[in-house]
Amino acid sequence: MDVGTQLFTFGAAFLGSAVESVEALTIVLAVGLTRGWRAPLYGTVAALVSLAVLVVVFGQLIVQRVPESSLKLIIGTLLLLFGLRWLHKAVLRSAGVVAMHDEEHAYRQTVSQLQGAVAQRDWVGFVIAFKGVFLEGIEVVFIVVAVGGTSRYFPEAVAGGLLAMLVVAAIGVVVRKPLARVPENTLKYAVGIILTSLGTFWAAEGMGASWPGDFVSIFFLVAAFLGASQLAVQLVRRRPVLA
Amino acid sequence: MKFLKSAAAQVIGLFVADWVQTAVIVAIVAAAWYAISGLHLTPLPVLVALVLLLAAQHVWFALAEARREAGSRPLPSPSPR
Repeated sequence: MDVGTQLFTFGAAFLGSAVESVEALTIVLAVGLTRGWRAPLYGTVAALVSLAVLVVVFGQLIVQRVPESSLKLIIGTLLLLFGLRWLHKAVLRSAGVVAMHDEEHAYRQTVSQLQGAVAQRDWVGFVIAFKGVFLEGIEVVFIVVAVGGTSRYFPEAVAGGLLAMLVVAAIGVVVRKPLARVPENTLKYAVGIILTSLGTFWAAEGMGASWPGDFVSIFFLVAAFLGASQLAVQLVRRRPVLA
Repeated sequence: MKFLKSAAAQVIGLFVADWVQTAVIVAIVAAAWYAISGLHLTPLPVLVALVLLLAAQHVWFALAEARREAGSRPLPSPSPR
């Protein structure tokens, strides 16, 4: 293993975590600015602790218990499914078929759900922040465990995920409004391509095949999936309006 | 209970948006695995076929969903004369 795989592992965890952290931040900000900060911050911390437990448990289980070839085949296939799902959605958004994710809209929606009297112990604020951070974080846990466990660069994957979370949280503290200018679709597109390429690479290695040029072939996979998705965007844009 | 249900849906949703597409992807990977491990074919052509098939299904299913979306949108109302 090498610097290239280390960088892909870190990059995939960082970008994937950044996208999901932006969405979680929108929910926490909506709750905090509407109902006060104590309950949503407790909810966020509780969710982060639960997610950390999942990373440690599944990370240890995967790294220590599962044989390398099976791990690569199974996790590679799951990464492939996960990456293609993100890529599919990003292609449809780029082509204008599906609306772009709008953080301002998500923020307003959460705020309107939260209007009303605030009790002394704000369980609603706690639960909404917990649920938002936990559910958005599950995708980050999968990316970190899958890319870290399969590449055997677990610390790099955890570092990438944590760094992205800290960067987004720091920006959130400074600006105190939803990060609507973050190009979420572009990030999801990039992560989709990286995860699809890594998934294909590892699934094939798990089958017993060796890629020509080892990790360098990941760049060719990235080029192939980028080309295919761009072709998909062009074809979708050119389709007749009424089928 | 509601939270557990949405967590379970979230976990399944990580990998599955369209069950047919998921089945196709798994079938492509399984066929490549069988060709390499079971039939002991030379890996390189199998890897090339694997990547091409995965790329092709990606384009195919994006177009299929775009057609579905276009079909499900309400027809534009006739313009007033």
